[in-house]
Amino acid sequence: MPRIAAGDRAALRQLYDATSAKLFGVCLRILSDRDESEDVLQEVYLTIWRRADRFEAGRAGVMTWISTIARNRAIDRLRARGPLAYAEAVEDLEIDDGSIPADALLMTAEDSGALSRCMSELDDRTETVIRTAFFEGVTYEALAQRLETPLGTVKSWIRRGLLKLKGCLER
Amino acid sequence: MSDVGPELPEDEALAAEHALGVLNARERAAAEVRMARDQAFAADVERWRERLSGLLASIAPVTAPAGLWPRIERLLAANDNLEGLRRRLNAWRGAAAGAMALAAASVAAVVVLANRPPTVIEAPAPGHAALLNANLATEGGQPLFVVAYDPDRQALIVTSLVPPGADPLHVHQLWLGEGEGKMRSLGMVEPGKSKAMPMPKDLATLAAEGAQLAVSVEAPGGSTRPDGPTGPVAAQGKLAKI
Repeated sequence: MPRIAAGDRAALRQLYDATSAKLFGVCLRILSDRDESEDVLQEVYLTIWRRADRFEAGRAGVMTWISTIARNRAIDRLRARGPLAYAEAVEDLEIDDGSIPADALLMTAEDSGALSRCMSELDDRTETVIRTAFFEGVTYEALAQRLETPLGTVKSWIRRGLLKLKGCLER
Repeated sequence: MSDVGPELPEDEALAAEHALGVLNARERAAAEVRMARDQAFAADVERWRERLSGLLASIAPVTAPAGLWPRIERLLAANDNLEGLRRRLNAWRGAAAGAMALAAASVAAVVVLANRPPTVIEAPAPGHAALLNANLATEGGQPLFVVAYDPDRQALIVTSLVPPGADPLHVHQLWLGEGEGKMRSLGMVEPGKSKAMPMPKDLATLAAEGAQLAVSVEAPGGSTRPDGPTGPVAAQGKLAKI
């Protein structure tokens, strides 16, 4: 990362070779569209190039840092599609089992061990709502609307789910 | 006791919600500002990002399209970070032996920091004193304000990178270090806006290379002290030659 911050293109190329497939997978999972994912991936590496000097080794791992950039960029793009992107019927949300779009069918791995175990300890409704929020960047308001459930209730499901996740991960 | 369980402390719940992405646009912007001025909150957000990033681990890699890297490589020069920009500007200065236009300096720096599309930087105009530039960042290194100072005109251009409307309950006050821990107010900076400010005559000698600039978060009306912030300092940086 320090080499990239100093303007070393070969270092960025190395990072690209090591991580672009993973980040492309992340973009596809969120956007389900190759062209858009490619655009977002391009933005992600340009952002890394510009911001490498802001990366703090102590605070987050490189992979967390760049995957967070990729996820946030992809979600920004999803949100920019406008309200239509959120107009899914409630049934669509309920049958969403966190499965992957056709483009990413190569997926085989499970969620990284501990988190996977902890997610599965949540009740199905809470797990689905947390996954939907994470992969679609859906706000509380939009979730409440989709689920036809009061905002406060959705908020309380998620907050309690997050608390359980934290407790479980610390075990 | 059926529906009421223990809850995360309010601050941490907010950090977790920000990391998860369920906040609306206004709340998100407010959380970003808070991360900039509240280290504990920022650390909570980072910890939650780390926890939740496990969800991304389950996603299978997909080889990126072959033509993408060459496209990225072509765009690198226009997207250099501040360090890279500074180096290139130095190279131009060697050739033209002048300072670049104040507006161009400010715009270029803002473009780099605010992550907007690249802008063509104008060739330097000869015959002026060196422009000074400061990038005011949080302790975590996130840039929040960009200042360009033209000693010839004794004018500052301050650009706030804080999202507009992010923190309606506070104002952002710009300060110039006077030494001995004292600071002098240069005025208020509105979120998301760019503003030209005259440098007060008696402060012009202080506004030199290495001078400390800071922005504090204050109640409306600004700091109640004449010689420094009352509220927390959100970002700081030093004037440097471009």
